[in-house]
Amino acid sequence: MRGVGQTSGPMNMGEKAEMKLTLPPRMSPQGFDAAVKALQGAVGTGWVMTTDEDRDAYADIYAPGPETLWSASGAVAPASVEEIQAVVRIANEHKLPLWTVARGKNLGYGTAAPRMPGSMVLDLGRMDKILELDPELGYCVIEPGVGFLDLYERIQREKLPLMMSVPGNGWGSVLGNALDHGIGYTPYGVHASNLCGMEVVLGTGDLVRTGLGAMGNNQASHLFPFNYGPTWDQMFTQSNLGIVTKAGMWLMPEPESSLELNLDIPEAEDIGWVIDTLTPLKLAGIINQSIFIPSWLGKMVILGQRKDFWDKPGAIPDWRVAELLKEHKLGYWKVQIRVYGDETVNRAKAEVIKAAFKKHIATPMEEVWWRKGDPTNVMDTTLGVPSAVPLQMGDWVGGKSAHMGFSPVVPATSKHVLDQMNRSRKIIADHDVDFYASFTIGGRFCNNVNMLMYDRDKPEEVETIKKLFDALIADAAAHGMAEYRTHLGWMDAIADTFDFNNHAMRRMTETVKDALDPNGILSPGKQGIWPKAYADQRGKALA
Amino acid sequence: MMRRSTGFIALAAALVLAGCNAADTATNAPADGASGGPPPLPPHQMRAQMADGDRLHTTMSGEDLFSNRCGTCHLDGGMGTNLIIGQQVALGQPPSMGLLANRDDLTADYVTSVARMGKGAMPRQTRVDVTDAELEKIAAYLGKGK
Repeated sequence: MRGVGQTSGPMNMGEKAEMKLTLPPRMSPQGFDAAVKALQGAVGTGWVMTTDEDRDAYADIYAPGPETLWSASGAVAPASVEEIQAVVRIANEHKLPLWTVARGKNLGYGTAAPRMPGSMVLDLGRMDKILELDPELGYCVIEPGVGFLDLYERIQREKLPLMMSVPGNGWGSVLGNALDHGIGYTPYGVHASNLCGMEVVLGTGDLVRTGLGAMGNNQASHLFPFNYGPTWDQMFTQSNLGIVTKAGMWLMPEPESSLELNLDIPEAEDIGWVIDTLTPLKLAGIINQSIFIPSWLGKMVILGQRKDFWDKPGAIPDWRVAELLKEHKLGYWKVQIRVYGDETVNRAKAEVIKAAFKKHIATPMEEVWWRKGDPTNVMDTTLGVPSAVPLQMGDWVGGKSAHMGFSPVVPATSKHVLDQMNRSRKIIADHDVDFYASFTIGGRFCNNVNMLMYDRDKPEEVETIKKLFDALIADAAAHGMAEYRTHLGWMDAIADTFDFNNHAMRRMTETVKDALDPNGILSPGKQGIWPKAYADQRGKALA
Repeated sequence: MMRRSTGFIALAAALVLAGCNAADTATNAPADGASGGPPPLPPHQMRAQMADGDRLHTTMSGEDLFSNRCGTCHLDGGMGTNLIIGQQVALGQPPSMGLLANRDDLTADYVTSVARMGKGAMPRQTRVDVTDAELEKIAAYLGKGK
């Protein structure tokens, strides 16, 4: 019999609830109480959450620094479009800033925490209906609270011939991920491109539908990707211009078969020819998926904790990396290509791919077939199986472990990929931090995610990561590369790097922001877009 | 029969060595006799469905609520299960103790506290993730250590 002490000791327990109330700018405690009371009337007392413990639960558990930098004043969880509209009305009346999250699992980018302290989290987790699921034309219409697992299980239960595209964190929201430009690893891996036809509550409380849905009862609302006239769908992604209450998402028809081609690539510099081999195949349609190429550490983080492989502080030295690759029979990079569709076509595609690689490496590619009806398991991300297991890397550094991704978008050629890798690798090494990169070829570009893992219990480690992040942003911008997504603490910094014509794009977006949301109550500061009402908060609460 | 890549097998082996196959579902999973490798990973788990109704006054069972609200990470093959297996094996326990439903040393208070305050890689759960009423039932279901 185990003693309870072995499992319930104070070691590694979370912090005690200590997130005191932070009020939004210029709001009095009395004003806040009045707003909370009104919200309770709109959604029910139980769905307005304003205890210290609630504020803790909505904090960024991976915060690079104190969680209080981005503290919510509370959270409100409506269950319907009408309730969202009521919340927006109240927020306008009381000048209560809201921070909208779908399920709030944006780990590494701020979780559910707001950019501006004191904002009330608008948690759409209760809006979890799958409204349409059409296997014939391959799409669904869902609410923001639908998680990857919810949709996956529904498809499995109904045995529908559809295959999802899932990101590393299957715990999160399908729409939230797509709206934040998340990526997956199937032919539908550029998730924002799958969005088609949205319903949106604006800052004024008005309700609009984009695309053909602007016509009431239009039959092709979630099929045709454009409006009649200007097309607005993408305007509501990475955006504080509205609250998406439902959207169409295209789903891939389940293929008859799929073939995985595996190859270990020995050296870091080999990424150059790997990219130059894969990009033409991707552009020619031989490979349709978003091709994920992780470095060795991506495999190692699942095998244990860092201390099992290297127990000293600072980056794992190159000689130890070489040893580890040998011990665990890993290449520096893992190429896992998947083709989807008819078996004959897949075989033909495989021959083209193998011939292209043979020019560079003698090792034959390993072939793994999957056929419709074969079982899948939690690690089959490229077959659209959602899982949270990739988050296990959170355990790598131990302690109160956390991660952030530095994720520049790089043209998919060896020149650019090697340049970016060599520069960021040197900067990361200079900060004595482990280099854990991946490249995902999504088209003519790669998302280059550099995972930076740190123990939040070690303030000096957090400081190093922050300095490193600043250095990486500055270096990338100097070389014409930008991040596709970032953590709350750097949203202003990344927005600053988009400097053409003295930040003309920010001027335009903020003009639109003020027109659609005159009181600036929707997610002020999201992606560096500040409404007039909170313009004085720009540049505050940085990491 | 599914063939598995060696890369996959190495990973599967590591996870199985870490005791990942916590629910002993290997007998239900296809045997990987062809490659002679370790048993494959458990198949994906289906969670219990949420019942319609007021989540603030739930009528669902603790078992179903645990499956739905906690199952993303705490069923067989889940991230939480994988990490707890490591901890339990280090304490000399069998891998099956990685599944919270198999544990007899958890108390309801402890379960509630970890869900709300987090622990290690486990994030704090909001009252939208799991309501107080739901957590009370889940804690009673898991809390066999009283």
